[in-house]
Amino acid sequence: MLRQIITLLLAQFVAIFIFCCGFFPQKNVLKGNADFIIESSIQTQSKPVFDKFVLIVVDALRSDFVFEESISNFKFVHSLINDGEAWGFTAYSNPPTVTLPRLKGITTGSTPNFLDAILNVAEDDSSSNLKEQDSWLKQFVRQGKKMRFFGDDTWLKLFPLDFFQEYEGTNSFFVSDFEQVDLNVTRHLPHQLETQKDWDVLILHYLGLDHIGHKGGARSVFMPGKHAEMDSIVKNIYENVDENTLVCVMGDHGMNEVGNHGGSSPGETSSALVMISKKLKQFQPPLHQRDVHLPITTQFQDGEVNYDYLTKVQQVDFVPTLAALFNIPIPKNNVGIIIPDFLQLLDSKMAAIKVKDNFNQLASLLGRTLEVKNESINEEFEQMKDLQEVLTKSATNYKYPILAAGFGLLTVLTAVALWYGISIMQLSKSSLLTIVLSLLLGIATFSSSFVEEEHQIWWWVITGALLLSQLYLRKALGLHFVCFVCVRLIRGWNNSGQKYTYDNTIFELLKANPGVQWYLNILTIFTVGLGGSLGDRLSFILSFSLCALCGSYKISWAIVNREDVPFWMQELAFKSCLFFTKEHTNPEEVFGKALVPMAQFFFKYFIACLVVKISASKIGVCKANLFSMLSILLMFQSPTANIPLFFIFEVLRAALSRLFTDYYGSNTYFVSLSSLLLQYFTFYQFGGTNSIASIDLSNAYNGVPENYNIYLVGFMMFVSNFAPTIYWSLYKSTIPRPESRKWILYAEQKIPFLIFNCVVGVFLLIACYVFRFHLFIWSVFSPKLCYFVSWNIFMNIIIECGLESIVWAVGN
Amino acid sequence: MSLKNKRSSVKKSVSFSDDNTLTRNNLKKHVDHDNPPVYVRRTTLTVPWHIFALLYYYIYISNSYDTVALLYLLIPLQITYLVFQFNKSTVYGKKLLKIKLPLVLISLCATLLLTIPTTVIIILFGAPLIEKLFETWLLSLHLCFLAYPAVYQVFNGDFKVGLWKRYFVMIVVGAWTSCIVIPLDWDRYWQTWPIPVVVGGYLGALVGYSIGAFI
Repeated sequence: MLRQIITLLLAQFVAIFIFCCGFFPQKNVLKGNADFIIESSIQTQSKPVFDKFVLIVVDALRSDFVFEESISNFKFVHSLINDGEAWGFTAYSNPPTVTLPRLKGITTGSTPNFLDAILNVAEDDSSSNLKEQDSWLKQFVRQGKKMRFFGDDTWLKLFPLDFFQEYEGTNSFFVSDFEQVDLNVTRHLPHQLETQKDWDVLILHYLGLDHIGHKGGARSVFMPGKHAEMDSIVKNIYENVDENTLVCVMGDHGMNEVGNHGGSSPGETSSALVMISKKLKQFQPPLHQRDVHLPITTQFQDGEVNYDYLTKVQQVDFVPTLAALFNIPIPKNNVGIIIPDFLQLLDSKMAAIKVKDNFNQLASLLGRTLEVKNESINEEFEQMKDLQEVLTKSATNYKYPILAAGFGLLTVLTAVALWYGISIMQLSKSSLLTIVLSLLLGIATFSSSFVEEEHQIWWWVITGALLLSQLYLRKALGLHFVCFVCVRLIRGWNNSGQKYTYDNTIFELLKANPGVQWYLNILTIFTVGLGGSLGDRLSFILSFSLCALCGSYKISWAIVNREDVPFWMQELAFKSCLFFTKEHTNPEEVFGKALVPMAQFFFKYFIACLVVKISASKIGVCKANLFSMLSILLMFQSPTANIPLFFIFEVLRAALSRLFTDYYGSNTYFVSLSSLLLQYFTFYQFGGTNSIASIDLSNAYNGVPENYNIYLVGFMMFVSNFAPTIYWSLYKSTIPRPESRKWILYAEQKIPFLIFNCVVGVFLLIACYVFRFHLFIWSVFSPKLCYFVSWNIFMNIIIECGLESIVWAVGN
Repeated sequence: MSLKNKRSSVKKSVSFSDDNTLTRNNLKKHVDHDNPPVYVRRTTLTVPWHIFALLYYYIYISNSYDTVALLYLLIPLQITYLVFQFNKSTVYGKKLLKIKLPLVLISLCATLLLTIPTTVIIILFGAPLIEKLFETWLLSLHLCFLAYPAVYQVFNGDFKVGLWKRYFVMIVVGAWTSCIVIPLDWDRYWQTWPIPVVVGGYLGALVGYSIGAFI
């Protein structure tokens, strides 16, 4: 039975994988390079407006970071805009708002492909290369301009290295570093500014601001300092260049208040764009900038910030504007429109030609030929806007045969799984519940709001299940009450979804009361970690030392990230840090330097403990209680204010365990269903959503030195995001069971999961197919599909079949 | 003195379980004269027409779902419903009991007290704890007064809850089911807390009182 179930599970994964191959295809792009189309001889002969270009990309530079009063610290940029020497814009960056697709947008002017968002994580990929695609960099190269690049090495993956005369890449994945990553870029600046004759285009890409966002959110204490640093860089450059140089400061995307990005919320899609040149003073600033004094005070709309400051443009509009100003052909796949305000920099005849050229290029992308009419420029802009809308919508083409193959395979598998599952489970209450639950969640995938607010469904189902259980049993009121209080506390811990955010979540309350938080954290780490290992000495020693190590690492981590920690805990952590570093004097340095070796030691020690415990239990020296030990690892990988959740988990687990053994005769399917419910429920209440933006990276780098391994970081990212899910998946093994039927029970518990995944999978694939041209496909349905796939790989295969079978094999 | 003794002996038999309640089903098998069988007659008399009217008022007439005004209408209508419809369908032994005015008042107070644990339960079911506490209490008032006829009968029937439990359960199920509309992104006014749950509770009560005798 076990073998058949695992085969079905794997086959189901293959089916979904096939579907994804067809669903996330490469976008069809026009090959080759663009040339001037309209009046090409006049265009080639005319002189460009500027002859030097400095592009400063500041990663995740949201519009309000530059323009808004309460948050912005770009004082020099403000004065430039107020003097009219700089023009500011709020640029809409098309989702997915992560660096790689956005860079493609900024350089080629095209709309991104969803696959790029995932490739942004899996970095060693060559298919996202822009060697063959037309971009303004390529056009500059064709004109023989000399380019230099310093900053995020994503650029070096996108473009052939021979584009750049000089370059140095910095790595974008080491998020915990705020300072060095930017200093590595800035240190090249003095030399470059001295030798301005030797280059035409200088590109800088700063990552520090994005890193601060990921660690501490948009209003982190590190933000003002970083703003000032970026501001001084702009000042330094501006004061050292002549009036024929265009300096452009832009964000590749924004961020939400928590500092994450990837989705399509206003904060994430509103990035800043500032064009700076001494020449601009001679011209009229854009309409929306004329009577405005920067910094601007916040504009509230229904109590929410909308991040619209000054003129609103599309980020891709930057590309044709740049092409017009530097007199290069507009890149072939561009969907941007020249920003009208810049036309006054060209003479009127040239301006008309450039607009026509842009129009023509957009039309050719759609496969239409230009209807030559002598329309006014305004009408042409109107038409171009329509074209742009059509183009951004029809960005991808799907491979229908592959979609059909994947879907067909999954449908067949679902039928088999249903037939097989029900033949084993029989028509019982549990099989009915499984099917109702699967259908409910399956149908919910058709509604974009239920995908965004999936935590609400799980909460609804959990309360319903407890209610049903209470009405069914009529006894055990106390146990049900305890369960209810526990799930309600879990529910109140974090916000999830996009619609409602409560300010008074327990997470926020604990952040505001660090004293309480840390006492709870320490209490939780020790009670959960020592659970069940009190009887024998060996497990006690192992677990206790692991707990102590975990606690002191979490404290040190919090201190490095400037959270408040009670003083005596700081002292204890300081003493433990001294073991891991040679530094002895400056406490800040000690904590900073001890962090990585300490985490590495924790992981090594953890594995050693695991091995010792398994072998000791084999010879009968100690109890094989792997569950509590693994919980320590899960707490180690959780955000600090989420750690006390594990205490509640423990109480809930005890209550459920009593409930199932005393009243349900340890019914294996009920245990399995409760595990399924709690896995999803706690995943969302841990802060997870179905949006790429909420992936938490802050614990993915524990113990990772500079030269890191992408797979390790990826694995730790999964563990930290799925920590509660792993806990509730392994919980099944802690329910008392007859040892002789162990593996039969293990297999039986997989059946509800199998049915659930198959049925929901079928519905999800249909939803993705039906909504493939829907507005929300890239922001709602595709991320959901990605979550579904990663849930399949990570939870269903690695954890449920891998780790769990080890825990079962070792036994209790 | 003897009266006092008798009362206390009644008190001893107070039970919240189903065991002592005799319903129509076991009427013939077992007749206990100390505890006469209690059941609700299967008539259309129990259909709470006023809840239709109240729902119509709430959704179409009242000014942007005035939950407070609805409560003012609900309480007298529920009392009328109890006196003229529900009590007249409830059979104790072989007779109908007359409505007892003190008991009407006592159960009104009890219903009011019941709102406190109900508020706690609603919060356990996911209502925000700190924000919108008044709305949550308002909801619990509605739900409790919807259950008011059943509360009266619980008092009337020496706390034998079993028969009346289904009415409470139907209201809870109605309220629980209606939550499903809250996360939808339609951005309508009626999605705000607690409007959908109030409507759900009313629908649950409507179904509960109409078919309660048949289950």
